[in-house]
Amino acid sequence: MASHRIEESALSDFGHIPYAVPHMIHPPTTTFTNQEGSAFDFGELEEAIVLQAVNETKQPLYTGRPAATLEMFPSWPMRFHHTIRGSSKSGEESTDSGSAVHTLSSRGEGSRLEPESPVGRKTDSSSDHRVIDQMHHFQLPQQIDMASGSDSPRTGMSQAQPVAKTTSEKRRGAGSNSERMLDAKTLRRLAQNREAAKKSRIRKKAYVQQLESSRIRLSQLEQDLQRARSQGFFVGGGGGAGGNISSGAAIFDMEYARWLDDDHRHMSEIRTALHAHLLDGDLRVILDGYIAHYDEIFRLKGEAAKSDVFHLITGMWTTPAERCFLWMGGFRPSELIKMLTAQLDPLTEQQLMGIYSLQRSTEQAEEALSQGLEQLQQSLTDTLASGSVNDSMHQMAVALGKLTNLEGFVRQADNLRQQTLHQLHRVLTVRQAARCFLVIGEYYGRLRALSSLWASRPRETLIGDDISCQTTTDLQMVQSSQNHFSNF
Amino acid sequence: MHYQTESWNSYKPTKSSSSSSSSSSVITDPLAHIGRLASDNAVVIFSISTCCMCHAIKRLFCGMGVNPTVYELDEDPISGKEIEKALILLMGVSSVPVVFIGGKLVGAMDSVLASHINGTLVPLLKQAGALWL
Repeated sequence: MASHRIEESALSDFGHIPYAVPHMIHPPTTTFTNQEGSAFDFGELEEAIVLQAVNETKQPLYTGRPAATLEMFPSWPMRFHHTIRGSSKSGEESTDSGSAVHTLSSRGEGSRLEPESPVGRKTDSSSDHRVIDQMHHFQLPQQIDMASGSDSPRTGMSQAQPVAKTTSEKRRGAGSNSERMLDAKTLRRLAQNREAAKKSRIRKKAYVQQLESSRIRLSQLEQDLQRARSQGFFVGGGGGAGGNISSGAAIFDMEYARWLDDDHRHMSEIRTALHAHLLDGDLRVILDGYIAHYDEIFRLKGEAAKSDVFHLITGMWTTPAERCFLWMGGFRPSELIKMLTAQLDPLTEQQLMGIYSLQRSTEQAEEALSQGLEQLQQSLTDTLASGSVNDSMHQMAVALGKLTNLEGFVRQADNLRQQTLHQLHRVLTVRQAARCFLVIGEYYGRLRALSSLWASRPRETLIGDDISCQTTTDLQMVQSSQNHFSNF
Repeated sequence: MHYQTESWNSYKPTKSSSSSSSSSSVITDPLAHIGRLASDNAVVIFSISTCCMCHAIKRLFCGMGVNPTVYELDEDPISGKEIEKALILLMGVSSVPVVFIGGKLVGAMDSVLASHINGTLVPLLKQAGALWL
């Protein structure tokens, strides 16, 4: 391993590699150790440099040859390693330093580079110094600007060459004195450099793998999101989209979607019955079936309130437009009555009285429940705001207990809605009631369609394939829902 | 005492009163006591001061112009607990709020709302003298 010993002697004069261009002007008292995860294996390189430097101790540093041998630089550790070991003694003309710089700059993008030119077998000491500059240059790809890097070696070289001359003289001097003295130090440093280079290689590989897996995961997430988005519109406004809803909520959303389909069926049944002018008895049967259909959804909501009251009360099971008019987890009965009164003419005086008192009583009941809920919120606020730090667990337990009352309010609100529909059925005649329920069904159908239309309205600021896909899906959905509009 | 048996018909006063009297310590017969309290006024509400549903039911009656007699069970140190237990026996699920109109049991919030919507509450109130027009 005599060659290694020689390498050590040359290396002892080199300090750490500076990381910035200005450092190139200084005498290279830095080692070529690169600790920062470069793709380039400086451990091997500096061995080669040292080797070459030692070989050239007899020659002047600056030979004036314009084309210095720089073939060693483009090559990368593996091949570099082999050829350096194999042909340290031979001399070869390298490519022009300028072009080498360019190839280096194009390849120094931080990824593992393939050796493209033969390993440098430089014979020129001047290229030693260019080696140093190239090493600095290799540092630069790790930095932000490449452009300055490619330019500066050239300038740096001209500036640093006289300096390097003295360095090589120093080297010469050191090398001729005692090779043994340099053994331990340089050997150790070489080994450390090798280790550091290996570590940075491993780190870089790990980072690249992490990037790759993240990229795959991102594309998967995007696919899921796209799928969920398209599905969400079919479930009635995005309430079922995504995986972040509780199982009780998910179950209710599915049941509600099924209920909506049944609703369409019932409505078309009533429509045909009305147009066919069925007898009252038959119509009553159909209407009772529709009332039972409504009772079913209130029962389902009652079940859902036990498992996930927030899902109901925030209206995540409805479409955005419905959510806008939400009151305590559903429609506001007095608003429904107001909407219906115009559509229900002609009414007898008694019926008018009945509808009017129904409107008044629903308003009073809504007011009472709203005030009760307000008191619950106030009480909850007081619980959460007060209490010392020591008492926090107890405070939370009290708050949890208060939250359970929410379910009671949602259930009373649904009870109110159910009673309102039943009372309508009682006050009106069979035909009037059938028309009334058709109006209600159509009203909410249009509100749901409005949500979809709103979501898919053309937005000029957003252009992209995914948005256009979404629009297509929504328009298709709107088309199908428009078929449910009757000429009622 | 008599109870309005709308949807819950199977309540037998004698049976439960005997069972409750054996366990009560302060009042001999809590249900009878409740009945007495209920008969004293046109509209009687058994409530707990911190209960939000009780607050809602109170607001409902006041909104209609009724002036109910409210018994806050948590503010009655003597017989509050007994009455609450008896009410749970009576109602089955929760103890409050419980409304009596004209001495007759109307029930909890859902019954009160249902009777209000179907138009039976106002006549009942008028009959008990709690509402005029």
